[in-house]
Amino acid sequence: MRHQVKYFMLALAAFAMAALLSGCSQGNTIRIGTQTFSEPKILAQMYRLLIEDRTDLKVEVMPDLATSSVVLDAIKNNDIQMGTLYTGIIFDNYFPFEMTKDRGQVLKQAQAGFDQYYGLKWYDPYGFENTYAFTVRKELAEQEHLQKISDVRPKAASMRLGVDTSWLEREGDGYPAFQKTYGITFGKTYPMEVALVYNAVASQKMDIVLAYSTDARLKEYGLVTLEDDQHFFPPYDASPVIGKQVLSEHPELNEIIGLLVGKIDAETMIALNYEVDVNKRNEKKVAEEYLRKIGLLK
Amino acid sequence: MSAWLANYAAFLSDRQADIWTALREHIVICLIAVLFGAVIAIPVGMLLAGNRKGWLNGLVFTIANILQTVPSLALLAILIPVLGIGRTPAIFALFLYSLMPIMRNTFAGFQAVDPNVIEAARGMGYSTAQRLLQIQLPLAFPYIMSGLRVTTVYIISWATLATLIGAGGLGQLIFSGMGVNKKELIVTGALLAVLLALLADFVLGLAEKWVTVRTKSAPAAGTETAG
Repeated sequence: MRHQVKYFMLALAAFAMAALLSGCSQGNTIRIGTQTFSEPKILAQMYRLLIEDRTDLKVEVMPDLATSSVVLDAIKNNDIQMGTLYTGIIFDNYFPFEMTKDRGQVLKQAQAGFDQYYGLKWYDPYGFENTYAFTVRKELAEQEHLQKISDVRPKAASMRLGVDTSWLEREGDGYPAFQKTYGITFGKTYPMEVALVYNAVASQKMDIVLAYSTDARLKEYGLVTLEDDQHFFPPYDASPVIGKQVLSEHPELNEIIGLLVGKIDAETMIALNYEVDVNKRNEKKVAEEYLRKIGLLK
Repeated sequence: MSAWLANYAAFLSDRQADIWTALREHIVICLIAVLFGAVIAIPVGMLLAGNRKGWLNGLVFTIANILQTVPSLALLAILIPVLGIGRTPAIFALFLYSLMPIMRNTFAGFQAVDPNVIEAARGMGYSTAQRLLQIQLPLAFPYIMSGLRVTTVYIISWATLATLIGAGGLGQLIFSGMGVNKKELIVTGALLAVLLALLADFVLGLAEKWVTVRTKSAPAAGTETAG
């Protein structure tokens, strides 16, 4: 009995040591960080599979980092090495930027700016954009003839708006700028974890929400997104990013990361998100299936 | 550093309306949660202390204990299908968390009253209700208050998560600051939560002292007139 306890303690100590050490062994481990929603998680799993298939590196996915800003800081600190980011993030004052809504221009600024100020390599986009989309229930859209954002103006003062936790604060494309461009002020705003806005609007807890355009729950709940008729929202093209330091240590990663560039359009991404968010399937499986389908994995 | 301070001051004056709103929401959420917690948990703690059925105490404390151990984010998530989003589920969750420490401290306070004192009171002709209110409650009071203080402090800190389910509060400043790379928002939200917790603890401490002094002087005055 005594011996058993002793062995158990030894095993425990060994386990703790191993855990500690594995935390330190960065050389052969690539960590991919993701935000809280399914899209970057699926993409991270794809890269995990591709990298582990084509190299001897180990890949860990670190999910649920609160925001893109946290992902960015973590890559800068080399706590994680890779992630998925969206070009519109440049308007959050990470470095001086030029205000433009032009897709190519925004991408170019993201690539140059994050290279210079954050030591990141920002790849060309996967091929889809995940931008903000004002969203209402179908019934309300029909009843009030809502098709574009401007149509909301007469009703806005009595509407409850659900948004993610950061939009109200965003500078270039957040609420203050929105109020200026559209002249619309909502009755009350409720920031919340973005995953909740879809159900919130479908169940009439909110009258209108600011959704992410590739989220599958738009489809699940049959929600209607309103056209951005004043072209207010900047482009949010998704790209893989990696720290340049780790890229110079493992140059073989460059080609692997390039494998998904231009390979996933919006429709595909929505379908993949649908599998995870609506059909409740494991993102690893969904990622693997897709890679096999497009022939990147045998 | 001074440039940073100047910037921060400008930020504060620029955003004071939002900051006040967040602070007000935070106070309302915490106040209601702790108030309901106290209203339920103090009487229950008193009842359990006077109750002879051991299994009942065990059962109630086990339930309260289990509620206490559910991770706060998980509890919020579990409440969404039932209570939806917004202020109600946030208050309800925090209320559940407030039960255990208040109840346990009340219970401990009443248990700690010397049985000889109760016996003496009974001998002097105090009724059960009089004993409870005039003897046991004042003696247990410091325990109850310390339960209340601990609870209030950590409810104020946990309420920062309420913003994730649309309830607003100081957490809104912290989470949006994280979202848009604005450290001053995070600092403001966190700092105010700390100050609010310290202030609440201080005020409850004062209240405790005030009540204790009053209840202690009352019987003394009584003896004098009797003598």
